[in-house]
Amino acid sequence: MTALGDRILGLGLMVLAVAYGWVAQQWPEPFGGAETVGPETFPTILAVVLVAGGIYLMIKPDPDAQWPLGKSTLELVVSLLVLVVYAMLLEPLGFIISTTLAVGTLSWRMGANPRSAFVTGLISALVVFVLFNYGLSLNLPAGLLEVN
Amino acid sequence: METLGFLMEGFAVALTPYNLMFALLGAFAGTLIGCMPGLGPANGVAILIPLAFTLGLPPETAMILLTSVYAGAMYGGRISSILLNIPGDEPAMMTCLDGYPMARKGRAADALAISAIASFSGGLIGTVGLIMLAPVLAKFALSFGPAEYFALFLLAFATLGGITGKNPMKTVIAATLGIMISTVGIDISTGTQRYTFGVLELYEGIDFILAIVGLFAISELLFFVESRMGRGREKVSVGKLTLSFRELVSTIPTQLRGGVLGFISGVLPGAGASLGSFISYTLEKQVLGKKGKFGEGDIRGVVAPEAGNNGASSGALVPMLTLGVPGSGTTAVLLAMLISLNITPGPLMFTQNADIVWGVIAALLIGNVLLLLLNIPLVGVFVRLLSVPPMYLLPIVTMVAFVGIYSISNSTFDLYFMVAFGVVGYFLRKLEIPVVPIILGLLLGPEMEKNLGHALVLSDGDWGILWASTLAKSFWLVAGLSLLLPYLVGPLLRRRMNAAMQENPVSD
Repeated sequence: MTALGDRILGLGLMVLAVAYGWVAQQWPEPFGGAETVGPETFPTILAVVLVAGGIYLMIKPDPDAQWPLGKSTLELVVSLLVLVVYAMLLEPLGFIISTTLAVGTLSWRMGANPRSAFVTGLISALVVFVLFNYGLSLNLPAGLLEVN
Repeated sequence: METLGFLMEGFAVALTPYNLMFALLGAFAGTLIGCMPGLGPANGVAILIPLAFTLGLPPETAMILLTSVYAGAMYGGRISSILLNIPGDEPAMMTCLDGYPMARKGRAADALAISAIASFSGGLIGTVGLIMLAPVLAKFALSFGPAEYFALFLLAFATLGGITGKNPMKTVIAATLGIMISTVGIDISTGTQRYTFGVLELYEGIDFILAIVGLFAISELLFFVESRMGRGREKVSVGKLTLSFRELVSTIPTQLRGGVLGFISGVLPGAGASLGSFISYTLEKQVLGKKGKFGEGDIRGVVAPEAGNNGASSGALVPMLTLGVPGSGTTAVLLAMLISLNITPGPLMFTQNADIVWGVIAALLIGNVLLLLLNIPLVGVFVRLLSVPPMYLLPIVTMVAFVGIYSISNSTFDLYFMVAFGVVGYFLRKLEIPVVPIILGLLLGPEMEKNLGHALVLSDGDWGILWASTLAKSFWLVAGLSLLLPYLVGPLLRRRMNAAMQENPVSD
C-alpha cells in the first residue's frame, strides 16, 4: 500500500499555496489607505489553510488509487487531444465538419466500430446545427460549408 | 395564508404555456439524464446551464427549466437501478437492493411503476415541506449579520462532505481551491488586480460555468474512456404491468414515511439525498422487520428509498433558496444559475424576486405531476434510450457541452479553459478530492470575502466579531463537529451502508 499520490498532491498544494500567498503580499496598498481587510487579507487566510491541508496530506496520505497504465493512458491522451483539436478547428472548419470528426473519433476510441461512430458524429452534428441555427437562432460557425 | 397567496401567484407564473412547455421539456430531459449511467443530475443540469443562457430565457423560465431537470433526474435515477442494477446516480443506490431482484423475478414493469408513484409522493411531500418551511427560514435568516453569514458559509463547506464522507480534510482542500479560483480577477471592493498576470480574459475572473462543465462533464468523459465501459450492459426486459390496486394501497404508509424522512435529511446540511434514501430504506426494514422480504424484491424496498430521495431533493432546495447555501452538488449548480442570472440568493430573494421563488416552487409541484404522467406511459421510451451505449452517448453529451460553452461568448478561449478544468477535475477525482466543494467555493468565495470585509468594518477590525453572537458560535460549533464526526461515526455508517449493499456494485 503506497500513498505516493497524496504525498505528491500535498507537496504540490503547498507549493501552490505558498506561491499564491506570496503573490498576495506583493500587491500595492489600495488607494485610500490600508483597511483591516485589504485585497490581500482573504487570499492570505486561504493560503494558510491550504498549506495546512497540504501538510496533512503528506503526513496522513490515503492509499493510492488505481492509475491507468499503458494503453489506457494513451487513450486518455488521445481523447484529450481530440477535445483540444476540436476547439481549435471549430471555427476554421465549421461546426459540422469538426463535430463529425470529434464525436466520431471519440466514440470510435471508446469502442464503436469506425463507420457507425462517424455516422453518429455526422447525424448528431447535423441535428444540433439545425436545431441551434434555425430552431434557436444561435449562430454556430459554418466554416468551410458557408454559403453566401 | 400569506404563503398560499404567494403560491397562487407562483402557479400563475408556472402555468403560462411558455413556462409549462419548458417544465415539460425539463422533466423529460431530466428523466433521460437521470437514467443514463454516468450522467448524474449535477452533470445534467450543468450542461444545460449554458443552453438556458444562450437561449436568453427569462430568469423564472430558466429556473423552472432547470428545477424540472433536477426533479426529473431524481425520477430517472431509478430506471437503471431497477433494470441494470447500476444506480444512475448516487441516491438511487438503495433502489437497486430490491428493485433489481424484483426485475429479475419478472416484475420490472411493476417496480418501475411503483417507484414512479413513490417518487411522486416523495416529491410532493418534500415540496409541501418546502412551502411550509422556506418562508419561515427566510424570515429568520433576515436577522443574520455578515459575521453570521461568514460562519454559515464555513458551515456549508464543513458539512458538504457529509457525515459519510471519507476524508473531511480533502473537502476542506477542495473548498479552499475553489475559493482561491474565485479570487482571480479584479477585486470588487478595492479594484486591485488579483492573479490576472496581465491576461485580459482573466480580468473579470473565471466564469464558474466553464469550471462546472469542465469539472463535471469533461472529467466524466475521461473516466469513461479510462474504464472502457463504452459498451453498456445487459438489461432485464420490462414485461407486463401486474401491479394490483391493493398492493399500491399497501405501500402508502411506506411512501409517507419515506417522503418525510427524505425531506428532513434533505434540509439538514450535509445529509442529502443519498442519506435520505438510505435512512428511509433502513427504517422501513426496521418497522416491517420480518414481515418484509427486503433484499429479495420486496415492493416496499423499492418504494421507501424512492420516496426518500425525491423528498430529499425538494428538501435540499430549502437551504439553497432561503440562505443561498446549497447542500448538494446539484443545488450548487442551480445556485450557479441564479447567480449568473444576477439574482442574489438568500432570504431577500423571497421579497425581491418572489415571482421567481414561488414560480420555481409551483413548477416543482407541476413538475412532479408531469413526471408521474410522463413516467408511467413513456417508461418504454426511456428504457429504449437506456440501451444506447455510452460510447455514442458520451461523445454527443460532450459535444453539447462544447456548443453550450461556445455559444455563451463565441470564443474558443473558453473551450480550452473548460478542457483544462476537465483535466484538473480528472486528476482531483482520481486523488479522491471531491469536485462539488470546489464549485461551491467558486460560487460562495466572493460572498464570503464580502461578508468578512463587512463584519470587520462593523467591528473596527476586531476579528472576534466572527464568533461573537450565539448564532455564529453555534455555526462554528456545528462546522467543527461535522469535520470531526466523519472520523468517529463515518466508518460505522459506511460499513452499514456497505453491508446493506452486499455485493452490489456502486458507481462513483
